[in-house]
Amino acid sequence: MTRWRPTGALSRSLAVGVLGLGLAVGFGDAVLVVLSAPFLLLAAFGIIHRPSTRPDVDAQVDHLHLHEGQGTRSRLLVSDLDGVEQVTRMATPAPFVATHPAHGRIGRLVTDNSSLPVLEISPRRWGRRILGHEDVALTSRWAGYRWGPVALVGNQLQVLPVRAPYDSRAEAPQPLGLVGAHRSRRVGSGSEFSGIRPFQAGDRLRRINWRVSLRSRNLHVVTARAEEDTGVLLVVDALADHGRSGGLEGAASSLDVTVRACAALAEHHVRRGDRVSLRVIGPRRVSSVAFGTGERHLRSLLGQLSMVGPGEPRTFGRERPFLGVTGGTVVIVLSPMLADAVATATATLVQRGLPVVVIDTLPTGMALEVAEGTDPVVAGLAWRMRLLERDQLLARLASLGCPVVAWRGAGTVDDVMRRLARRAQMPQVRAR
Amino acid sequence: MSRMGTPAQAALRITILAGVMVALLATGLRGVWPAWWLVVLVAGLAVAFALLPEAAMGTAATGLVLAWWGFAFRGGPYPEALLAAAGLLTAHLAAVVAGYGPRDLPPDPATVRLWAVRGAVVFLAAPAVYLVATLLEGQPEPGGIWIAGLAAALVTTVAAGLVLAGSSQEQ
Repeated sequence: MTRWRPTGALSRSLAVGVLGLGLAVGFGDAVLVVLSAPFLLLAAFGIIHRPSTRPDVDAQVDHLHLHEGQGTRSRLLVSDLDGVEQVTRMATPAPFVATHPAHGRIGRLVTDNSSLPVLEISPRRWGRRILGHEDVALTSRWAGYRWGPVALVGNQLQVLPVRAPYDSRAEAPQPLGLVGAHRSRRVGSGSEFSGIRPFQAGDRLRRINWRVSLRSRNLHVVTARAEEDTGVLLVVDALADHGRSGGLEGAASSLDVTVRACAALAEHHVRRGDRVSLRVIGPRRVSSVAFGTGERHLRSLLGQLSMVGPGEPRTFGRERPFLGVTGGTVVIVLSPMLADAVATATATLVQRGLPVVVIDTLPTGMALEVAEGTDPVVAGLAWRMRLLERDQLLARLASLGCPVVAWRGAGTVDDVMRRLARRAQMPQVRAR
Repeated sequence: MSRMGTPAQAALRITILAGVMVALLATGLRGVWPAWWLVVLVAGLAVAFALLPEAAMGTAATGLVLAWWGFAFRGGPYPEALLAAAGLLTAHLAAVVAGYGPRDLPPDPATVRLWAVRGAVVFLAAPAVYLVATLLEGQPEPGGIWIAGLAAALVTTVAAGLVLAGSSQEQ
């Protein structure tokens, strides 16, 4: 049970003062009184200022939901500061959480709640980050008594992937929706010129082209291509995390690239008014997000992405990943393509005639991590063989008509989307 | 970061060590030097005191210095005692500041200033007692009685402090 305990300083000053007096009386030596008098005063002041309160200590962060690299403050809450002169906080470092001061230790004189020491924290990687537990000690006036150290459990932060700058001017290959920004093959009420045809009942008068009508002696109207939204299915391969993550400023692992790229794509398409869905091939703890649009849907997508972790589902290998794709959906698969099941599912979608783009998220120049007890030469050889197999897999996917591009931020999918859009105009044979 | 923590923490711990050693060797100003083994013993305890400012080694080191002063001189008082008192007090206050947290906790400048002021105030007790003891030294009564009187006065102060603390708790 926490209570006010005498500090080492009080014990020392009391012991030295009493010892000095005892020796002075015993030896009849005034010098010892001179030496021990300040200690007796310190002991007396320390004892006089013994607090009688029972403070409750807690820590609270200002924001529980943050993006990578954003910062917040962890504030200390003390119920009763009466008699408290100094507060020390000692936070245990947590992985991928930067603190200021850098070592997480801060001590300060306090007068009221506003002067309590504040710890600035900034998560450096997406995911659920549990701040390290911290010890808090309160010291009374004249350092006579100490409350604690009180152990506080660290808060949990939900760290959303960073909003990487991403933009794309490519239109969706097969837009099939209501109102959006993509030119459809269907004639509608868009702004893109489609053609001129004779007037029909129901046509708007402002669509009449008077020049052609006068020349042909019949009313003609200008037709335009409809502008529709499209469905975008983002498939995240979370079966494994290759490479070591160094946080926001450091090296990126394959899952870092995957999640950040997915977040950027999701934000881009939601902002354009497209319906975006998320499927995660990985542990069951991350649920899929159905098609939707709007700012709230984007937050839901980012929230699910922040919970992605590497692992295989229990049924993995026995059944093919179910992606639940309907026609008119653009499928973007973000994967390092090192799992056969993901490649097979991708190939199946391509054969169904869906526009599928694979974004290769295997970091370039990734340092191989070798498990303890494994020969690094053998491990290096195995990794090179695995990469060769992967190259063959990607080549086969490309031969099926599935473009594979490495993630490089803005404009990554522009070229392949344009090509897919052109291809969508041609007649196709689809496998059912 | 070194074993002694941040540079400011290292400075505090060096101050602890230096304060204790200055207090021990201050008798040398009157030509009375401690034995080498005592110097080594006190230095060892002072190093432990500097590394662990909240531990009991600090009390042992300071107590040994007091005992040495008791054995080295009879009668007095001597002005060198003020230097020794300053050394012991500085070591103690440096340990108080260092003891607020682990060795990688940088001392708060405001805390250091506060204890510097407090140290200067409580140190005034040493010259005050020295002055009283010097005035009383020439009196015909046995010196032991005056020392006992001074001791009684200080014990009364502590007792009054304890009573005040008890009453404040009751409130």
